[in-house]
Amino acid sequence: MTLVGRGLVCSYGPTRALDGVDIVAGGGEIVAVVGPNGAGKTTLLRALSGERRPDRGDVLLDGSPVSGADPGWRGRVGLVSHRTGLYRKLTVAENLTFFAALHRISDARHAVARSLETVGVATLAKTRVEALSRGQAQRVALARSLLHDPGILFLDEPFTGLDPAAAAALESTLRARRAAGGVIILVTHELRRCLGLADRVVVLQRGHKVYDGETGSADAADLLRFFTATSSDAS
Amino acid sequence: MSELRRAWLITRKDLRLEFRTGGRLLSMIAFVVLAGFLFAFALDHNLVPGRDVAAALIWLVILFASTAGAGRIFDAEEEEGAFRHLLLTPVSRPAVFLGKTMANLIVIWLVTALTFISLTAFLDVRDQGSLTAHAAVLLPGTIGLAATGTFFGRMSRHSSLGDTLLPVLTFPLLVPVIYLGATSTARVLLERPWTEISGSVRLLWAFAVGSVFIGAALFRHLTDE
Repeated sequence: MTLVGRGLVCSYGPTRALDGVDIVAGGGEIVAVVGPNGAGKTTLLRALSGERRPDRGDVLLDGSPVSGADPGWRGRVGLVSHRTGLYRKLTVAENLTFFAALHRISDARHAVARSLETVGVATLAKTRVEALSRGQAQRVALARSLLHDPGILFLDEPFTGLDPAAAAALESTLRARRAAGGVIILVTHELRRCLGLADRVVVLQRGHKVYDGETGSADAADLLRFFTATSSDAS
Repeated sequence: MSELRRAWLITRKDLRLEFRTGGRLLSMIAFVVLAGFLFAFALDHNLVPGRDVAAALIWLVILFASTAGAGRIFDAEEEEGAFRHLLLTPVSRPAVFLGKTMANLIVIWLVTALTFISLTAFLDVRDQGSLTAHAAVLLPGTIGLAATGTFFGRMSRHSSLGDTLLPVLTFPLLVPVIYLGATSTARVLLERPWTEISGSVRLLWAFAVGSVFIGAALFRHLTDE
């Protein structure tokens, strides 16, 4: 399975958030997208996931164009963002059961239990989301994104506000998904973390891709210096 | 699973949130009761019998309460960004609209029932006519209000004017509902024959069905970037 973004252009009014960005992510691979604020990271993720239709360019899965307008495509992707996307007044189980039903999962109760077990929060099933800590809520959000066993997982700053234990649990889950052959695209501004987790890193700056390479071969120190320089430049 | 079933899941979720949060419903109920209370003092019952103005006031209170509530239909969706995740499920946009509209409609029905009871009590309307006939008038009227409120409630989220925009957009569109609804309810209160009312009710149904279909068809323009 290979996800390709080709020549993606997205604008917000006169501001061009993405300017002809190409990206490739294969199965069993974690691709980290990093860059300073306003680089276009989240816009790239939204274009790839189908949340936003690019002004120009295509998103292809195994060579075939995909679009957010296609319910079949939406059923194959999972999303975790820095906002949990959970209903605070519902319990964890009610939240997940609702999303499982919308994903047409036949045995929703079993899927919810399995998903909560996977991220280590099965004991919280009957707790209202408003009573959860930030780390717990983020794990539940991850469980929600895994409910329908998506082949492609998008993560938008998922480590924001997580304590070290919760961040380690999230990393562990992502490694397991990678081992299972999933495509994982991780948007973050935490370069150090992504160098330890991702297989490849893509650096964006002002809507342009300025670096794309394997983290194993990347000179982390150079990349860090580059990132720091672009951040300073942007600010 | 059919899209109708998914729409119902959204309705059920919205109602569960509504009754657990209570904020929107409580504010609408408070508005309805207070409006009836104030109207009782604002009218000189010796000059203007409550029955003569009850129909107009009932419909205006329902309109104002439902419009005030419409601005908050998407509050829970936006609180933690849940709407983004809802839209990423395979559910169709018309089903999302239908689900949200049905939840809004059920809340409006509760408010409508309370408005009717409250205003007929405060305005001292003793002979209320057939309750079945009132329901036959109010049902299509409230469907139109719910569909229009849900659609423009979403639209106002995208505007910097926010809830201020909502009445500006909806009130002109809802003139037919208010006119047909109030005149029909007045006739039911006066126990006029159904033949005098049925034409208006048919037009109310036409508005209701039209607003649901148009809202469902156009809703994706308010959700997809």
